[in-house]
Amino acid sequence: MVSLLIVLYGLTLIYFALSERVNNYVVLLGIQGVLLFTIAFYNLRDINIVGLIFILLETIVVKTFLIPYFLNRVRRHNNLKRVQEHSIPVFYSVLIIVLLLVTGFVLGNQLEVKSIQSKFFSISIASLLSGLFFVIIHKNVFSHLVGYLIIENGMFLLSLAVGNEMPVLVSLAIMIDIFIGILVIGIFLNKVGDVFQSTNIDELSQLKN
Amino acid sequence: MVLLVFFAISIIISSLIFLLRKKTVNLILTSLFVATQIGLSAYSFIHKGETDSAYFTFDAIGIILSMVLSLLSITTLYHSILYLNRHTSGIKNECIYFASLVMLISSMTGAYFANHLAVMWVCIEATTLFVALLIFHERSKVALEAAWKYLYVSSIGVTIAFMGLLFLSAISNAHGIKSLDMKQLAIIAKDMNPIYLKITFLLVLVGFSAKMGIVPLHTVTVDAHTAAPFPVSAFISTTLMNVGFLGIFRLFTIVAHTGIINWTNALLIIVGTLSIAMSAIQLLRIKHFKRMFAFSSLEHMGIIAVALSLGKPGYYAAILHIVFHSFVKAGLFYQIGQVYNFFKSYWISDTGNYFKINPVGGLVIILGFISITAMPPSGLFISEFLVFKALFALKHYALACFILFLFTIIIYVFGKHIFFLLYSNPPENKNFETIKINRFETISQFVLFGLVIYLGFNPPVFFTDLIKSAISF
Repeated sequence: MVSLLIVLYGLTLIYFALSERVNNYVVLLGIQGVLLFTIAFYNLRDINIVGLIFILLETIVVKTFLIPYFLNRVRRHNNLKRVQEHSIPVFYSVLIIVLLLVTGFVLGNQLEVKSIQSKFFSISIASLLSGLFFVIIHKNVFSHLVGYLIIENGMFLLSLAVGNEMPVLVSLAIMIDIFIGILVIGIFLNKVGDVFQSTNIDELSQLKN
Repeated sequence: MVLLVFFAISIIISSLIFLLRKKTVNLILTSLFVATQIGLSAYSFIHKGETDSAYFTFDAIGIILSMVLSLLSITTLYHSILYLNRHTSGIKNECIYFASLVMLISSMTGAYFANHLAVMWVCIEATTLFVALLIFHERSKVALEAAWKYLYVSSIGVTIAFMGLLFLSAISNAHGIKSLDMKQLAIIAKDMNPIYLKITFLLVLVGFSAKMGIVPLHTVTVDAHTAAPFPVSAFISTTLMNVGFLGIFRLFTIVAHTGIINWTNALLIIVGTLSIAMSAIQLLRIKHFKRMFAFSSLEHMGIIAVALSLGKPGYYAAILHIVFHSFVKAGLFYQIGQVYNFFKSYWISDTGNYFKINPVGGLVIILGFISITAMPPSGLFISEFLVFKALFALKHYALACFILFLFTIIIYVFGKHIFFLLYSNPPENKNFETIKINRFETISQFVLFGLVIYLGFNPPVFFTDLIKSAISF
């Protein structure tokens, strides 16, 4: 079951490269949130009630509902529908994402640390690299925010891979930090849209020597 | 419990500032908070080595940086008041300014004293958010661009660092350590897989480079210093960079006794030298005073990275340098705020004849120039001397000569622009007689520069003891 969910997560990464509609990005992030919860739920069967509530809060409440809701507001505020500023054609983007997935799995299989679960490690590396790639090929600040969230989802998978047992208090602080960070980035994104009349990164070039 | 109470106080004070929205209340509450911060620094010094609120320890390096933070909080608060009186931006923006400043100081204090790497990470990530609000204070296009870039790139950087910490957590799990407590990690570090430890250090170095302002993620820091109000530039160019340094230093203390130390040292030398070189290259085409000081910070952080790679004498020099750089750079930024008051511009070409227009300010600029370029009697001369002594002792002759060559370029550029400001023909159509000078405005700079000379040539015992304690890992 977990393997199937990991494959589905990989498919969402490919679909990110295929899509040009901003709305799809938001929906895909929501789907990733659900997948992350299911993966965590299956993986952490012996988890205590506090841990379960925390995972539920992080994946379902924050990643599936709050962040997509907030992103939708940002999208509407800036009247964003499609991003057509890929710096490379979609076909090559898909190809590169597939290569990144393969890279992730090759790296995961090379790993010789018993405490790291290679299947989660593989998909997390693929997600981190895909997020970075997504940021590089897009010139829109909204897409950059989406790329950042793909990286954050990769981080969540990495924390599952290492099965680290950080105190709930610390994990909660990390989650709140990230959530507030996304809120603040979103607010600034709205400001960029208002002041520069565009969310294209080329407009942000006033700071020079 | 002390630090938890401190965090609670800071949240209450910043909330009150934001909600009450009165100028006098802002001043009283922020002053009260700064007094609390100073009290905490004193408390940490008295209770050195004690653990507080489970995740924090009053260790030597934390105490040193907290003391620097306390002193610069006083001066920054004073200059912020002057700045806000001259640049009226509405009570709402002023409240956001002070509330963010309080939370920034609080987060930095948390980062300084955290003994758990994940808690330190949380505090560092929190600083990003509050700094972004401070950079955006002037609500200009440039401020917005700088704030956005800082927020975005710093967040990515801090995420990369977190990835490194997760990796560290995985390899420590394999050795039965299930916490990111630094003491425990240091004990088992030498048994950890060296390749994974290298990956961890690389990720943390790259990630926190956005905070420390060194290569590769230094660009956002430079932009942030340029666009922020000058008291904020003074603050983030010093205390916040110290947070980035601490993030890297904490991990360095863990890997220092492992087999990867030579690799780590080589990496720090590369990053440090590249930072100094980048600074020298960028300074050659500089046209803006605040950018000049920002690139100077890049240079000094590069020196600190190089110093860290040179063993015990280098560690001592690194900590000495970070303290002195904080005081000198803050002083220079405060004075450049005064320069702006006369010329209404930070562009070098818009200035001139400053010595005649404002002799006391001119004197500060000269003292600042001597201090920042590490000429005697500046304390930075002592720390840089120690760095070069260590470089020559370790037979890094070529590297030492190359860095000296880069320093020559930097001193030349600094001298050229500083003397242009002081002695070139004044810009036309400017009436300087109407500009009022606050008699007390330059005191902070004289105190800071004086302190750098005093601590450099006649350091008190408690100061050297703290540094020695900080490097005894």
